[in-house]
Amino acid sequence: MTFDCQETKRHVHEFLHNELSAQEVAEVTAHLANCDSCETDYDLENFVNHSIQDACSEVPPQELAEKVLENIRKMQAGIDHA
Amino acid sequence: MTSYATSMVSYKKTTLNSKPMSEVNSAQNSAKSPQTNTQSNVAAPSEKAQKSKLTPAQRALEFEQLAIPLMPQVYGMALRWTKNPSDAEDLVQDTFAKAFNAWDQFEQGTNLKAWIFRILTNTQINSYNKKAKDQAKVSIDQFEDWQLGEASSLTSMSSRSAELEALDRLPADIIKKSLSELGEFQQVVELAVIAEMPYATIAEELQIPVGTVMSRLHRGKKKLREKLLEYAIQEGYVTAPKPAAKSSKDSETGSL
Repeated sequence: MTFDCQETKRHVHEFLHNELSAQEVAEVTAHLANCDSCETDYDLENFVNHSIQDACSEVPPQELAEKVLENIRKMQAGIDHA
Repeated sequence: MTSYATSMVSYKKTTLNSKPMSEVNSAQNSAKSPQTNTQSNVAAPSEKAQKSKLTPAQRALEFEQLAIPLMPQVYGMALRWTKNPSDAEDLVQDTFAKAFNAWDQFEQGTNLKAWIFRILTNTQINSYNKKAKDQAKVSIDQFEDWQLGEASSLTSMSSRSAELEALDRLPADIIKKSLSELGEFQQVVELAVIAEMPYATIAEELQIPVGTVMSRLHRGKKKLREKLLEYAIQEGYVTAPKPAAKSSKDSETGSL
């Protein structure tokens, strides 16, 4: 069996999130190689994912980073003396 | 429909290169232990075997090099979930403290991001906001239009390239705002896209079936794209796409 456009489009997220079997990945890849429409779809979803990732990182306040590290060193010291 | 979802679960056994769930679980359990006695709360001896060769100093260094760089992503998520910088900071501190305690159970080469975010999710759900979990369970996802494959085939090639162009110009604030307006889809989209958690882990965390994770991701992403395009037009980042004008090779007929 070969994936048609409908099946290929339906699998886009599973493909991008590594949730497909090797067989399905092969089906999708084969279809994308010959279908501009589906390929654009996959590119778009992938692009949206990267936009989300980029947009959602926040530089933590300096003092938070320091507190976390200090905390770890304290716990570390606790282990050292255990 | 159900068989589609359940068959997904079985695929994973053969395809996923992530670590077995049991290991993630043990990390999770440890992450759940009370945060008050963190110092005595190191992993059980049997679980420590793997990294026991590391000196405590090496262990701390390894954690600093691998886990600490994820702080901007973890802090960003904590901020969106708590909507309050001070709560977000507490959540981030607790998460990294628990992660450090459970560090012996993290297997190098596996998905560190998903592992840390899982601790973040547990901490958030358990200690800070029981509501989040309840909310996640309330709505029942009804029929699955995405499974009919109609989702994106409705938009033509030309409008999709306009969408791509629009997305490229959108500021982060609009993307975050749109994400926060996804209702019950928000958490699944965040855990899949930002935390890069496997579907099975998301299902377990939110106590929903894997099929629901899939449908919420599909529908959430679809809704997000609609919102982003809407904002992009509204804010003048792009003009509303005209119905297929040039290079109509695929735009009208498509391949469906």
